[in-house]
Amino acid sequence: MLLEEYKDLADYCVREARRLGAEYAEARVHGGKGTGFLLKNGEPQPSMIDDSFGIAARVIVGGAMGFGATNLLSRVRVKDLTATTVNMARSSAPLVRERIAMGESKTATRKVRVAEKEPVEGADPNWLKSLLLEIDRSVVKLEAGAGGIKIPNRIMVASAGVEEKYIVTSDGAKVESRVPRFNFFGILTALKGGDAAQRMIQRGETGGLEIVKRIRLLELVEEEAQTLMEVLGQAEKAPTGIMDVVLSPELSGIAAHESVGHPQEADRILGREGAQAGESYLSRDSLGMMVGSDEAYVSDDPTIDHSNGYSPVDDEGVVSRKRKLIVGGRITEFLQNRSTSSLLGVKNNGSSRSAGFDREPIIRMSNTFVEPGDYATTEELIKEVSDGIYLKSFTEWNIDDKRLNQRYTGLEAYRIKDGETTALVRAPVLEITTPALWGSVKGRSKRLEFEAASCGKGDPMQGIPVWTGGPDTLLAGVRIVGGS
Amino acid sequence: MAKMMDPDESNEFGVGVARRLGADEAILMTVISSERMASFANSSVTVTKNVNESGQMVYLAKDGRRIIGSSSNPEKSSLERFIGLLYKSMMSLPRDARYVPLPSRGRGYRPRPGHDKRLEKAEALISGYVEEAVGAAESAGARRTAGSLGSSVTSHHIMSSTGTLGSDTTASILLNIRAFTDRDASGHGLSCAAAVRDFRPAVAGERAGAHSKRMRNARPLDEEGETYQVLMSPTVASNLLGLVGEFASAFSIEAGTSYLVDKLGKKVASDALELTDVGRGDGCLQARTFDDEGQATQSTKLIEGGVLKSYLHNLSTAKRFKTKSTGNAGLIEPGPWNLEIGAGDSSYDEMVKEMRQGLVLTSNWYTRFKNYRTGEFSTVPRDGTYLVKSGEVKAPIKGVRISDSLERMSSSIRLLSKEREWVQWWEVDTPTLCPWVLVDGVTVTKAYGESPPQGS
Repeated sequence: MLLEEYKDLADYCVREARRLGAEYAEARVHGGKGTGFLLKNGEPQPSMIDDSFGIAARVIVGGAMGFGATNLLSRVRVKDLTATTVNMARSSAPLVRERIAMGESKTATRKVRVAEKEPVEGADPNWLKSLLLEIDRSVVKLEAGAGGIKIPNRIMVASAGVEEKYIVTSDGAKVESRVPRFNFFGILTALKGGDAAQRMIQRGETGGLEIVKRIRLLELVEEEAQTLMEVLGQAEKAPTGIMDVVLSPELSGIAAHESVGHPQEADRILGREGAQAGESYLSRDSLGMMVGSDEAYVSDDPTIDHSNGYSPVDDEGVVSRKRKLIVGGRITEFLQNRSTSSLLGVKNNGSSRSAGFDREPIIRMSNTFVEPGDYATTEELIKEVSDGIYLKSFTEWNIDDKRLNQRYTGLEAYRIKDGETTALVRAPVLEITTPALWGSVKGRSKRLEFEAASCGKGDPMQGIPVWTGGPDTLLAGVRIVGGS
Repeated sequence: MAKMMDPDESNEFGVGVARRLGADEAILMTVISSERMASFANSSVTVTKNVNESGQMVYLAKDGRRIIGSSSNPEKSSLERFIGLLYKSMMSLPRDARYVPLPSRGRGYRPRPGHDKRLEKAEALISGYVEEAVGAAESAGARRTAGSLGSSVTSHHIMSSTGTLGSDTTASILLNIRAFTDRDASGHGLSCAAAVRDFRPAVAGERAGAHSKRMRNARPLDEEGETYQVLMSPTVASNLLGLVGEFASAFSIEAGTSYLVDKLGKKVASDALELTDVGRGDGCLQARTFDDEGQATQSTKLIEGGVLKSYLHNLSTAKRFKTKSTGNAGLIEPGPWNLEIGAGDSSYDEMVKEMRQGLVLTSNWYTRFKNYRTGEFSTVPRDGTYLVKSGEVKAPIKGVRISDSLERMSSSIRLLSKEREWVQWWEVDTPTLCPWVLVDGVTVTKAYGESPPQGS
């Protein structure tokens, strides 16, 4: 529970900023508590406990924006913070060629609470340790029947924590939220002779410790380990050339995140991230532009229950909603915050989030995914392919900073022959432009699955929890290169 | 409101609380930081930032049990509550077979020159520097610019139950500027310094602007899947070779997330490569006198004459590797402080003349590994990227990707420049003093498919 005195400080900060001449002011008390445990090759590392709270102030003065933050939560310190933030904004005004305004977004007064059956707050580190040890043992056991393949290197991290915020703005927003989360991250390295294969596993949801059972974490990691050993032991050289490719939910999700979600962030389109995360191949005039086939549907939805990117009200105090980014191949919406929507003359869709009290809210994805389609099962979709590849998981990936030229290297990948998956193939590479990828979408299955990820953006860098997801997606006639 | 403590008082109080609770060992480290930043886009300031933080890192040990905590609440009763919670949580854990006791006291710390005090009031400098950088970029041909200019002053104060006591302040100022003449034509410039006297915003702006002008009408590379000689700027080389410093962490070795496993004493790079971790030294952007376990930092040769000489250690990894700490804790994971790549004896022009068919890369981003254990990765060049033929820079190039292995590239380094620059930015976490680096036989790929019509 946020201390009432912290909330009073936030209210005071907004009043003080207005008194000092800010045309807009926003304050956010933001922090959390968490427990984490790291297991390295089955050996426990020291348990970690975090407890962090602070206050952020954001103001607009003469069309210039200022942001300030401190964890020194006294009235005197907050007064100093507010004054410095206002003064720095004011003194930068002569260098502001494009005045900043927050527009007329409808602000919210709301309390957001994510339910939890087994509370994460005060989670016993010993419980986390036992959980990881059990998972680790199940992975090691698999080595017995693996024909000499070992998984000697196993990094596993489990963390449970609660994030709390109180946001107040000078134009009426007052939002209090409490979001518990459980996260797992692992890196498994399988070795056979001099050959190695590696898998990163990330899972995360909002809710209580019941998440561990709901997502079948133990079984999931065990299955991943088994697959990794099969990849190392059995995968054949991948074919190259033009062929049909089926993307699993994992691949559909990363493609949706990287080449649809990011380029449709309005701040990138307007150049605000130009020096770090980059810009976009799209311009402010690209709404309505065709970038995919009539089977290409991609959305971002911050309101999905249990989701890693759950954010029903954003960090500017605006109610969020589902965003339909690509509908039938056509760009229909960008991700907006208050200032970009004001500048572009469109409705705000509440996409502003911050990673902590010491970071400014910027436009972020939440849960970005390819919409499910009509094919009842994965197998039914694969039946459409006479000669191709099913990319089920990936390792290395990247994309240029305009979000056009992207690469996904398969880990668990199968050759498809005559409508059926056959042999595992090693490291096929899909290196493709954004319009070529989305223009080749021919079909989608009904199953919708998500992966957890941490999305990086901003300066200083802000990693923020998201989901990426989708169904199985059939790409017709794309090029696979570089299998090894 | 309750009383805030100064860092030494906070540490002493925390160690006292831990001892009263019954802890065998305690380390309290208070970190106080002050950051100032101005970001700009379309040559217009988008936001100014000021962030002041004070945090405590707490390490407790009892009967072989260990726990680590971090708290951002420096107020006395909150710190006492927090340490109480840590102690209670620790006592629920079983004993840790890998527990290593703290030395009876930390080694003495050699004093180092103080930080640049002008950076404590950098808000008075930042706007002028932004104006200087943007002006230089526009004078060099840029139509618009984006970037961030930030300063930080960070002090670390440590006290342990075994007699370690120290404090240390470091400061830096960093500019990252990108210039554009159109959407596909951009240039990048950096200036990174530990003192105002070494900060060159106009040079960084001019460099970004000039590349943005030269990159107009960049074309895709005609060939595909071939190998090229690649001349990497300090910005690119520090991103790739700087990662070797992280791969040299003993944690990465034990975790199997490094291609340097079992390579100690072996050749891992060409004779030309020397890589050193520097805890403290002139110009270091992230100088530290002591590490998170209170051990004095030092310079550690990681690669010399192409041979892997050392991993980076804290006390517990050092014990397992039967060696001494290199003063690089992280309580869980040792890591580099500042990296230096040894200078060569070539000039940029001489290196270009050595190239038959190659690429000059001035910036890159999104380096991702297919497999940390093998060091296979790809990365995406951006900004000034040029085709070189027969020793001459011919044409600006767009849409390429480097897909190779770190060990193979390190082993194919042919030349390094005399000139070196400090690099730290979005894509380079560990400050790195780095030359231009010429590498033979690098695999270059490009994406399949047409680009869409470009917007305005």
